[in-house]
Amino acid sequence: MTVMPFPSRASVRPPAFDIEKVLASIDTMAAQRPVAAQIVSVANSDDTSAKVLSRILAADVALASRVMKLANSAYFGMRGRVTSLQFAVTVVGFTTVRTMATVALTNLDDESRLPEDFWTVTTSLALASSTLAPRFGERPQDALCVGLLAQMGAALFHHNDAEGYAELVAEHPTFAGRRYAEGRRYGINSLRLTSVALEQWGFPSSMTIPLNQVDELSAPEGALLRASFEVAARLTVEDYEPVPITRLTRGQLREEDLPTVLEQVRADADELRRAMLGLTDDEDDEDDWIA
Amino acid sequence: MSVTVSVPHDELVPAEIVSTVFYSATVSDTMAILVAELVGGTARLSWCNDGAVQLLGYGLSDLRAIPVEHLFPTLGGGELKLLMRRERSVRMTLPVRTASGADVESVIVSTPSPSGRMWTMRLVSTANEQERALRATADAHERRFSTLTERSPIPTLLSEQGMRLAHVNDAFCTLVGLRAEQLLGTGWIDTVHPDDLDDVVEHVASALEGGDGETKARLVREDGTFRTTIIRFAHLFTPGVGAGFVGTIEDITDRLAFETQLAHQANHDPLTGLPNRTLLAEYIAGRFRPGAGGLACLFLDLDNFKVVNDSLGHAAGDELLIEVAKRLRATVRPGDLVARFGGDEFVVVCENVDESSTVALAERVSLALAEPLHLGGVDVRPYASVGVTVQTSEHHAADDLIRDCDIAMYQAKASGKGRITVLDQQARAEARDKLRLVTELRDAIERREITLLYQPIFDTRNRRPVAIESLARWEHAERGAISPVTFIPLAEESGLITSLGLLVLDETCRQMAEWDRLLGAGAPPRANVNVSALQLDTNLPAQVAEALARHSLEPCRISVEITESALMKDPDSARGVLQQLRDLGVDLAIDDFGTGYSSLAYLRHLPVDCLKVDRSFVAELADGHAEIASAVIALARNLNLSTVAEGVETPEQADELARLGATFLQGFGLALPMTGGATAAWFAAHGDRAR
Repeated sequence: MTVMPFPSRASVRPPAFDIEKVLASIDTMAAQRPVAAQIVSVANSDDTSAKVLSRILAADVALASRVMKLANSAYFGMRGRVTSLQFAVTVVGFTTVRTMATVALTNLDDESRLPEDFWTVTTSLALASSTLAPRFGERPQDALCVGLLAQMGAALFHHNDAEGYAELVAEHPTFAGRRYAEGRRYGINSLRLTSVALEQWGFPSSMTIPLNQVDELSAPEGALLRASFEVAARLTVEDYEPVPITRLTRGQLREEDLPTVLEQVRADADELRRAMLGLTDDEDDEDDWIA
Repeated sequence: MSVTVSVPHDELVPAEIVSTVFYSATVSDTMAILVAELVGGTARLSWCNDGAVQLLGYGLSDLRAIPVEHLFPTLGGGELKLLMRRERSVRMTLPVRTASGADVESVIVSTPSPSGRMWTMRLVSTANEQERALRATADAHERRFSTLTERSPIPTLLSEQGMRLAHVNDAFCTLVGLRAEQLLGTGWIDTVHPDDLDDVVEHVASALEGGDGETKARLVREDGTFRTTIIRFAHLFTPGVGAGFVGTIEDITDRLAFETQLAHQANHDPLTGLPNRTLLAEYIAGRFRPGAGGLACLFLDLDNFKVVNDSLGHAAGDELLIEVAKRLRATVRPGDLVARFGGDEFVVVCENVDESSTVALAERVSLALAEPLHLGGVDVRPYASVGVTVQTSEHHAADDLIRDCDIAMYQAKASGKGRITVLDQQARAEARDKLRLVTELRDAIERREITLLYQPIFDTRNRRPVAIESLARWEHAERGAISPVTFIPLAEESGLITSLGLLVLDETCRQMAEWDRLLGAGAPPRANVNVSALQLDTNLPAQVAEALARHSLEPCRISVEITESALMKDPDSARGVLQQLRDLGVDLAIDDFGTGYSSLAYLRHLPVDCLKVDRSFVAELADGHAEIASAVIALARNLNLSTVAEGVETPEQADELARLGATFLQGFGLALPMTGGATAAWFAAHGDRAR
């Protein structure tokens, strides 16, 4: 099918790929990972239980082992006590299980098909988001999941337009600048694309609204994710010029709040990444962190 | 629901139904429905129902004039396409701009027509009243809950997932001295003492799986000190989210400290700070292994402590005890236990020692104690008698060890003060034998195997029997007759004297009643019953009255004999008891008179009837020494008291006593003690002389 640009976008460079096709592909992904798809669809229903979820999860060994690994990671503090899948689901929470299933569904667990540094940025984003959540009155677990999934749109851009997107990323090292460029190139920025995909899968609006509001400085719903991108940028972007956190959060955070957060994120990020990707300890030792 | 159903072409819905549905959709004011289409590449609205007009505030003609993206201000750039997908329905939560310019947060469900050129958009405002009310209720619950926990003085944790905390209250922050930001997530784990963390995680795991429970855990404060707490965990479940826990914390540090202090007080002597008898018993019991050996005890008793107390005062006595405790602690080996057994008695317990090293320790202790000490202006040398016992195979229980040690100490004392005695086999055997005898005496009293013999007492003038004295006898099955000189003191030491005394009293009364039945007027007129010093308390008059009543005897048929020394132990109280007995109507006699240290002035005020002249003074008569017997008899006469001369063995003694004025006579020379039956026969034969 041919995409017809809207009249208002006539002056902008034509999109390099078919966004509708990209969105349609999200549906077909479900067919390739039926277990993950089932988890995505049942995990947020009110009558879901750890028993139900773990029973479904058991059919996808790779995903199940990642959930186990995550439940035993330092992030949840359970010190290796989690030995059953059902308990693992209890510990990490249903939303996190659903998020991990979504990661599997969209092939975000295959680093070869992702933009460079994808998971380094994602784990920083997710941990910053979860760590800062209480200060914004948000649930840390939901914030973690929003952070883990936020860059799904970017992965889709990369997947469908690898060269063009790499060029775009290189040209725009800051996240905000990059989103603007994505809008110009694809008609939609990566976070909005993520939000559409999540909405399509029935994720609650509390998780999609922050993705839509991140560039609205006046919108409080986007403040947590905005602050988290700033923390992730400070940790992962070389020669990054920090933006005052007070301005990004309309005074909810001060610069002096950040050192502990940066420290915590740096400490936990690698383990979270390994759990999400199902890596063993001897796999992949490279260190992407900027001290 | 959706009104734009995608209908397969081969199953066409009848036109009438289509129009009915369409009509209801048109006039519905509970649903807002718009129809959009692509006209020349631009999305335009072509139709809306009444509900949409009400929600948006636009008329149908106005709506047709504005581009669709104008309604959805947040869908910038090419994002309108996200809402108008050709091959599937889309559901989005978006603000919708109304005619007034205000944004209404709504859920939009957009469904494409089979042609892919038209979309039905159903708008549901999320800001409707029911939802607002629900949200308000939820918010109120949340606020109430957070107010409750935040203001609660009970430190409280609320988990988000696993060990991760979503909330801590001020009370918890205060308890550990950290800010909430430092504790949220997994930060609080660092406040749990590393040795207790496993337990805490275990309980969290169980709470997450639906269990409740509590565990004791130390929480380390920011300054490095720690508080001991009980953490109680409860399961928390949020539908659609998962499991968490609530933890409430009780700081028991102060309570434990108080309990420890109480336990210490219960087990330690407040004066010297040494372990007391209770702790000593526990300590030995905890280390005693029968047959193992290696345990030894020193039992120390300060010599002449009473002298210090009486002459220099109790404060000086206390000072001496404190100093002794200090010297003992300084002299024993590390690991030895020094305990205050009571009063001026101390016990040292050593492990892994033999007899010679224990004796060596006892010598060191004695030397250390004997160093002069300045007390109340005087130099005092605190000597001690020390009993030493080393565990042998004969010690079956921990108590045996202390008891032997006590025996050894008494031996040391008996052989002269300031000595050290190791318990020898003979002393142990004697002590054990005595213990066995006490048990047998108890049994004998219970089974009424203590029997009574009765010895007649005669009127001096006409030599007629006027009374009998009850004398207790114990015929032991194996040991034969056991003398009252042995078993009366034994009963007094072992607390059996009251039951023995009651037995004698009751049996005498019973026997008297029996003689009355058998002999009538020829029965013994009166019985003298001995009462021990230890029985001489306020219970005695009632016990006597009960015995008399039980056997229907007149009080004048009984005379209670009390030794002189018993009266002098506590003269005031003794006098009170005697007066009550007297009021009851029984006679009273002072036994063994002249052997004690009676105050003669005091004697005048005692309500007694009779003095019994001790047999030793009667015996002296044979040697020509009548002075004391004579004096006692004269004294009694002057006080208007009668006298009984005991131990009369010869007619000469009887004559001499009659000459001296003794009122009554008693002794082997006149009549032997007899059983109840023999006494009845004796009185039957001599009864004419009785009354």
